[in-house]
Amino acid sequence: MNRKMFTALFAVLVIASMLLAACNTKTPTAEAPKEEVSLRWRTRPDNQAEIDVYQKVSNDLDASLTNIKLTYEPGGSESASYQDVLKTEIAAGTAPDVFWIPGTDVADFAKRGLILDLNEMAKAENFDTKAFYPGPMAFLTYSPTTNKSGDALWGLPRDVSTFVLYLNLDLINEAGAPDPRELAKQGKWDWAAFLDVAQKVTALGPDIYGYGANAWWGPYGVWSNAAGGGFFNADRTACAMDSEGSLKGLAFQQSLYQEYKVAVPYGEDSEPPFMAGKVAMFQNGRWATPGVRANAKFNWDVVELPKGEAGMGNWLFWGAYVVNAKTAHPKEAWELVKALTTAETQAKISALGTNIPSRVSKEALDAFLTFTPPANNQAFLNGIADANKPTAEGPLWQGNWPDYVTVMDAKVNALMTGTMTIEEFKNTICAEGNKAFGK
Amino acid sequence: MTGLTQPSSDQRTWNLLRIGGVWRWVFALGLLIAAVLIWAGVLFAQLSVPVRVLIGVVPVGLAVLSAWGGMLILRRNRKGRIISLILDYLAFVVCLAVSLQRLGVFVGIDGLAANFGRGLLPLLGLFIAYLIAAQADRFQGKPEVQERLQTIGKWVAIVSAVIFLLSVGLLGGLWAMLQHLLEPLTLIFVLLTAWLGFMVWTVGRGPAAVFLRTTNAQTEMLEGYLFLSPNFLGFLFFFAGPLLLSLYVSFTDWDAFGNKNWIGVENYRRIFNLDIKPLASPNQPLTEAMDATRYDELTRFRFLGKDYLVGAEDKLFWISMRNTLVFCLLAVPLSMIPALLLANVLNSKIPGMKFFRAVYFLPSVAATVGVAVIWQWLYNASVGYINYAITLGVNFLNNVFHLSIVDPQMRWMSDARVALLAIVIVSAWQTMGFNTVLFLAGLQNIPKELYEAAIVDGAGRWMKFWKITLPLLAPTTFYVVTTTTIQALQVFEQVFVMTNPPGSPNNSTLVLVLYLYQNGFQRFKQGYASAVAWVLFIVIFIVTLLQFRAQRKTGAYDV
Repeated sequence: MNRKMFTALFAVLVIASMLLAACNTKTPTAEAPKEEVSLRWRTRPDNQAEIDVYQKVSNDLDASLTNIKLTYEPGGSESASYQDVLKTEIAAGTAPDVFWIPGTDVADFAKRGLILDLNEMAKAENFDTKAFYPGPMAFLTYSPTTNKSGDALWGLPRDVSTFVLYLNLDLINEAGAPDPRELAKQGKWDWAAFLDVAQKVTALGPDIYGYGANAWWGPYGVWSNAAGGGFFNADRTACAMDSEGSLKGLAFQQSLYQEYKVAVPYGEDSEPPFMAGKVAMFQNGRWATPGVRANAKFNWDVVELPKGEAGMGNWLFWGAYVVNAKTAHPKEAWELVKALTTAETQAKISALGTNIPSRVSKEALDAFLTFTPPANNQAFLNGIADANKPTAEGPLWQGNWPDYVTVMDAKVNALMTGTMTIEEFKNTICAEGNKAFGK
Repeated sequence: MTGLTQPSSDQRTWNLLRIGGVWRWVFALGLLIAAVLIWAGVLFAQLSVPVRVLIGVVPVGLAVLSAWGGMLILRRNRKGRIISLILDYLAFVVCLAVSLQRLGVFVGIDGLAANFGRGLLPLLGLFIAYLIAAQADRFQGKPEVQERLQTIGKWVAIVSAVIFLLSVGLLGGLWAMLQHLLEPLTLIFVLLTAWLGFMVWTVGRGPAAVFLRTTNAQTEMLEGYLFLSPNFLGFLFFFAGPLLLSLYVSFTDWDAFGNKNWIGVENYRRIFNLDIKPLASPNQPLTEAMDATRYDELTRFRFLGKDYLVGAEDKLFWISMRNTLVFCLLAVPLSMIPALLLANVLNSKIPGMKFFRAVYFLPSVAATVGVAVIWQWLYNASVGYINYAITLGVNFLNNVFHLSIVDPQMRWMSDARVALLAIVIVSAWQTMGFNTVLFLAGLQNIPKELYEAAIVDGAGRWMKFWKITLPLLAPTTFYVVTTTTIQALQVFEQVFVMTNPPGSPNNSTLVLVLYLYQNGFQRFKQGYASAVAWVLFIVIFIVTLLQFRAQRKTGAYDV
């Protein structure tokens, strides 16, 4: 066999095999019975540990769900544009059968017909939607046709989360400031106490900060909520960022950056300085816990948010498993959504520490509380307790959330960095913001 | 003997060509039917009527060309052969692609990764076979050993090939293909592909060319276009096609999910809709000056003692346009001037210079996202190394010289006044290495005799640089300016990675490509995003055109 012949044979074999290999998508070992239905599902994980847990959950469900073969696809993280990739795949017709989306996206996906209304299937089997936190379910059962909750079912919540303050206890001790956890137990954890701790810690040095939060709608929203304000009017059809409560909350937040200078400069990522031991109170959600556990080299714990005039003002963040409108197997997809949100599955995922169960179930919540540190896991549950009236993160059924949040982010940034006064903010925010509601 | 067979060979060629001529008429008829189906809305039903009418003109034009080609072939005109070859070749490529798609080759590409790996081990057998056969060359004087080794090599190769094909799924693949082939439409396309291939062979082969007295120039032309065709077709389908599609989409309200309405120039009207109103006082609110439900405040200015307010229906477009232009104005000189100076330094022949050339080029080959993430950390106001270095420097100066310089504590990525500049620095740093290499190549093309003559004339370093280097570098400089400008106007990755949320703080880093990305992929406004993309294209086109005109005016030297 000469060199020329060898090269020709090699080239022909490679090309032929590539064509054949591409055509033959089924591997011999993965041969499935004819009646078995294949489903793909996806979540937005934050780290490899979470991917591993979801993969295990998928394997377990694969074994327990009859005639359903599951393929778990970990999506990219938030910073890897999970939603952008998902939307592109939906447009291309290659999106998974079941996928997770954040609560704020539900309305947009539903109104454009990208996800299935599961209400008929749920009603047929008397599925109990009241087993989940009522805030997210009010949005997930909202029908844009009848304009009321309870007439649709767009999916089931995967998990919930809320804000706490991650505490650097070493810094707080060094500053001689009172322990926020003790103040919270005594019912004295309010804005004044929070400012006092922040100021005492900031006094430790020019590169030490009492408070840090990242620049997105979540952190600035809680200050408005806690002062009795909010993003929207009562029926969520118009901007309310110029209300007295909203302005009061924002004014206090602005004072942290501009007047008292106790906060990491607005717009800077607060996580690196917190991890470096330079921030005493870092406002973030449950999703930050694995990172703090892995990287913090100081004594740390968490405490609930301080109370303002109208309470804690915390968010109830959530995201939901929804069914692709183009799935070939809607019934099996619905089975999968239910299986992914059982108390048992949620308990497994909660034990990882990233998620708070979306189902009000003792089994799942107990599993969540066992995951320490932080020792004070109860702070998360306090944040979403009915008594503290959390505001559920929610989609805009009458309006465009991305447009609205773009306006808010820019204006709040100008306010917090001192390039806009609160009066200017009041005069302009809703004139621009209401365009997102078609007004 | 030759004299007897010649007429029958010509006759056979002419018969085949006649089939080719008739085929051209059948081909034309097929295209006309396709045009009617497009106009009737059976094909491309989702498109609007004017677009369908426009698209339908294409098959009609090709049908006329095909019919004409058929007529020419039947008249034994060689131009008919050229037309026939071009049309059949293009149709063959299209049908082959459709056939492969319908056979599941493209959509099953995931299967390639899953199945191909299983064949790697048997593939090694082929190499072993080659090595065995190659050993035969060492036994020149022993033909029986040579023959035996070659036979062993051949059989090892055959057995390896069979195992390899079975491992990667020969049987499964053939079965899958056969199943697809049973679908009538797939079968039609496969047969059509085979037929078109046969027609290309029939009309393209040597005897047909000789029969129609095709000139050498025409043969060379056809061969040239044949070699060009992969690139040309790739450009047509993967660049020009999407480009035209985006132009069409820019006149619709398409959301990428099938909801599409023709809205004419509405997207462009919204982009450019500005309103200027005189103000009663400098601080008069927007709501009193103009329709605040439609316009957002863009800027205020004073002209001839009177205050004016500029409102825009899409404020963010104008902000992103301003940011893009500012970015370009800063990034281009910052990535060019240091590159030029660096190239002059690196052009000297001192030991280790190749190492430094490689070092300065490294940022250009590094992944933009990785570079942006590292710079994001460097820029961190609290724990970043840049601010740390500034603080050390300030402290050093204050201590040594008893000064009282205040540490600026720069907020690189969170201060709206400096965030864009921070991204300019990263971008310039990354582009500089590549520009340096270009300048270096330009410098090495300048004849050394010119410098020697200048030295004789008494020119110093500066005079040599100003009077010889710069003018003779003009073609390189022009190329660098043009490509760097285009690159700067398309800035995206650095902003997308380094700012959070992208475009922050306060929209100070919102650039045009980011804005169109946000509209297209985050807000379901593909139509509007396409319109923004076309505006950006026009801006880049105008800027490049101006640069070309300026280049012509200066009459730059060409070494």
